[in-house]
Amino acid sequence: MSTTRTRTPLVRGRVGELMPRRDAEPKVTGAFAYSSDLEAEGMLFAVTVRSPHPHARIAAIDTAAAVATAGVHAVLTHADVPGRKTVGMHRADQPVLVVDVVRYQGEPVVIVAADDLETARRAAVLVVVTYEVLEPVADPERGEVLRDVRIRHGDQSLGADVVVSGSYEVGMQDQAFLGPESGLAIPDGDGGVDLHVATQWLHLDQEQICAALDLPPAKVRVHLAGVGGAFGGREDVSMQIHACLLALRTGRPVKMVYTREESFFGHVHRHPAWMRYEHGATPEGDLVYVRAEILLDGGAYASSSPAVVSNAACFAAGPYRVQRATIDARVVMTNNPPCGAMRGFGAVQVAVAHEAQMDLLAAALGIDPVDLRVRNALKTGDRMITGQVIDGPAPVRELLEGLRAMPLPLERGSLRADLRELPGGVANTTHGEGVRRGVGYAIGFKNMGFAEGFDDYSTARVRVSLVNGEPLVEVHTAACEVGQGLVTVLEQIARTELGFEHVVVLPADTTVGSAGSSSASRQTWMTGGAVKAACEAVRERLHELAADRSVEETVEHHHRPTFPLDPETGQGDAQVALCFAAHRAVCDVDTDLGLVRVVEIATTQDVGRIMNPAQCEGQIQGGIAQGLGLALMEEIKTENGLVRNPNFTDYLIPTILDMPPVRLAISETPHPDAPYGLNGVGEPPTIASTPAIAAALRAATGRPVTRVPVRPDDLI
Amino acid sequence: MQTPAPFGYERATSVDGAIASLQRLGPEARIIAGGHSLLPMMKLRLANPEHLIDINDLVELSYIREQDGEIRIGALTRHVALLKSELLARHFPVFADAETVIADPVVRNRGTIGGSLCQADAAEDLSAVCTAVKAKVVIRGAAGERVVGMEDFHVGPYQTAVGAGDVLTEVRLPLRPGSGSAHEKVERRAGDWAIAAASAAVWIAAGRITDVGIGLSAVGLTTIHLTRAEDLLRGQAPSEDLFAEAGAIAAADCSPGADGRGPIDYKRHLVGVLTHRALRRAAARAASQEA
Repeated sequence: MSTTRTRTPLVRGRVGELMPRRDAEPKVTGAFAYSSDLEAEGMLFAVTVRSPHPHARIAAIDTAAAVATAGVHAVLTHADVPGRKTVGMHRADQPVLVVDVVRYQGEPVVIVAADDLETARRAAVLVVVTYEVLEPVADPERGEVLRDVRIRHGDQSLGADVVVSGSYEVGMQDQAFLGPESGLAIPDGDGGVDLHVATQWLHLDQEQICAALDLPPAKVRVHLAGVGGAFGGREDVSMQIHACLLALRTGRPVKMVYTREESFFGHVHRHPAWMRYEHGATPEGDLVYVRAEILLDGGAYASSSPAVVSNAACFAAGPYRVQRATIDARVVMTNNPPCGAMRGFGAVQVAVAHEAQMDLLAAALGIDPVDLRVRNALKTGDRMITGQVIDGPAPVRELLEGLRAMPLPLERGSLRADLRELPGGVANTTHGEGVRRGVGYAIGFKNMGFAEGFDDYSTARVRVSLVNGEPLVEVHTAACEVGQGLVTVLEQIARTELGFEHVVVLPADTTVGSAGSSSASRQTWMTGGAVKAACEAVRERLHELAADRSVEETVEHHHRPTFPLDPETGQGDAQVALCFAAHRAVCDVDTDLGLVRVVEIATTQDVGRIMNPAQCEGQIQGGIAQGLGLALMEEIKTENGLVRNPNFTDYLIPTILDMPPVRLAISETPHPDAPYGLNGVGEPPTIASTPAIAAALRAATGRPVTRVPVRPDDLI
Repeated sequence: MQTPAPFGYERATSVDGAIASLQRLGPEARIIAGGHSLLPMMKLRLANPEHLIDINDLVELSYIREQDGEIRIGALTRHVALLKSELLARHFPVFADAETVIADPVVRNRGTIGGSLCQADAAEDLSAVCTAVKAKVVIRGAAGERVVGMEDFHVGPYQTAVGAGDVLTEVRLPLRPGSGSAHEKVERRAGDWAIAAASAAVWIAAGRITDVGIGLSAVGLTTIHLTRAEDLLRGQAPSEDLFAEAGAIAAADCSPGADGRGPIDYKRHLVGVLTHRALRRAAARAASQEA
């Protein structure tokens, strides 16, 4: 006997559900096509001739021998750039190919396309560039100031009874994405080109390619290829223009894939920072003032340095109420590697300093470090040091108290421990001698989206049609899936808004309006918002849907306007919204050898709305791994402008053996301005995880630990 | 560069055949065993041998056995066999200590003790281990076999007593009562070269150290044999103070260079701590064997 029940159609994969990513299995099995896997019939291979010197004048470029090599189809220099000879995100100051002066090691001088890679490489060796070597400016104190941001908030004469000061330093971190810069340019035979490339912002690439090639946008179509990680390092162009130049010159498809070593010279890095801080407080523990001098080394070109230094200044005091702030942040230009966008974008560097200062202050006051932070926690309605009143959520106190309430990991047992659980992991022979445990807390914040008056928007085109009587939703945007899971979230949004099961997110390209950059923790807010709005517009018209008639809407989603910072006082409503995360690190240190094992990271983060639980947790875990890397090992080392470790043998990134379990509690305080109340997720995990580890190391060793990455010899 | 320059290749079917090939092909011929040092150097074009003589078929060189008061280890014995040998663990636990932290399982499945010793990289672990346990190696050439102690084995950076036409065939570890041994190492991460490593072996009788061996990796141009510290320890009763003093001598007697793995002072500091710890564990193991 059977019973009959009314079945309500249940469409799975809506916002908030744990929907698996469609790219997960192909990525795990190796079937996923990254930008370096692209092929086209008759394609040529291109390589780049780079300057070995960080600073030099080019006296002559002789390409004759390379041109004469059998199998070589093009050898191009700056003279072959038909349009604007320079590129750049904020200002076009970086040559497409060096014109006269080399400003950093590895700068592209000549590009070569040949029948195969080996021929291209051999021809590149035959290019003779005559350099007049110049002394590099490697000391940032001697660099030319690109931008300085002054913040003068509150009564500048305010002093305090309890004062602590310190100097802090952050090394140059690399995004260390695993997929090197790569792409394939295919000429269309009609003077135009299609570029398939791993990037973060298709339309910005298109704009810069068009300028350099002197072509209208319709002639340059940029398509997103499989991205092997980005983290800010793919916002500036690398090989995009070069591949297009060669494709148009030769009339053949041109593939360009950087080697691992080249990749270290192919993208900008996180700015190294030198910071002097002074905090003043009342004897009860109320923050009175924060003074900070912040120096960032922007390297050879501007990239996004002007915005990074702005962030460093705006978030310099941490998420705390301060009566007076006096911040002087400057970014300078040198002949060191260019620095620009990287996950956390200026907020990472200052968090190392402001959180160390809060611990110093707590010690000076005899107050528990978490109590001190809670006491001064920013909340909704407070003013930031830029004078902006926070009208969105600011759950600083809640995050700190939630974090403190989380259980601590067990003490290391007396049983012989697994090597992997001891300081240094399997890479050493610590057997428990001299091991001491430390616990450290930190909290950080930064902005979602771009700041200071940038009119940011994203575009979505949503189309519903009937296929065999079933509704099919197609979502088309130019938003870049860089591994964060955007495609899945856009699919969930469309399904939620329209209630149809079959949703296809089309490949991202420039045939739809700009989505802006997959950066600044903004893409789900901005493009998710655009898709939601486009779905709503389609929904209004669903009655028109018929077998021979689809419904399509294209919508631009803008966030609310922001405003510039006053150049004298740094005051202004510059930010769209704020994201917060707190971290607690538990570290075991072999205090004889200076070796570290991070035992656990606990974190509380408010994400506004969990769009997809697995992806949300993945972003948090990944961000913490990057924060751990900066705390303990990741640093590009330079010497007089030369990079000393452009490889993964000597540039160390955390592996699964270095990464501890993460205890996480995600909270959802809806942001009133955002679609679904969501907030940015990607960057906050990288901000306070680093200073939390530094604090734990101070607690374990009693050493000052004022620099990250922490070196073993800093801990003994 | 990711591919080696062209080279000739042959597979040896006997040790004498390999030696004959070496003699015939001259100094540009090299023996290849596990290949985990030679092949990367060839890919980087740091080594460009004209001929490779592959000895991986010579299974007669793969063994660990007790014979005539010695542990004898065939030159083609893989790291993984050294790691898992109960015989070796019973007499010389220093091998298992070292093998746990040598490279990674993939390399350990392939790399050999003979290859490690002949490569003679100063950062290599087994050279220090063999120095500590006072091993002897058997070298066979056209003129026959000779036995060379570790004290005479290293003749310069990457240079050993194994001549151009020679093959290292066996490592011999003399068995003496009351022994204990240990290896301590710090590397930046699994699989990297050591920042520093210390191997120690002690022989204890009636509460006195009758003999001791200490070898250091990665803190000099070759493996360092710490004779001055050994002289201090010989004849003494083991104690924490004594081992600390030996550590201080070790820190003074090594000659590390500054590089991406750390500054000189830190490396000397590591050598002091690691030598101290290795001696402490070696002595504890000797004591537990006595009991």
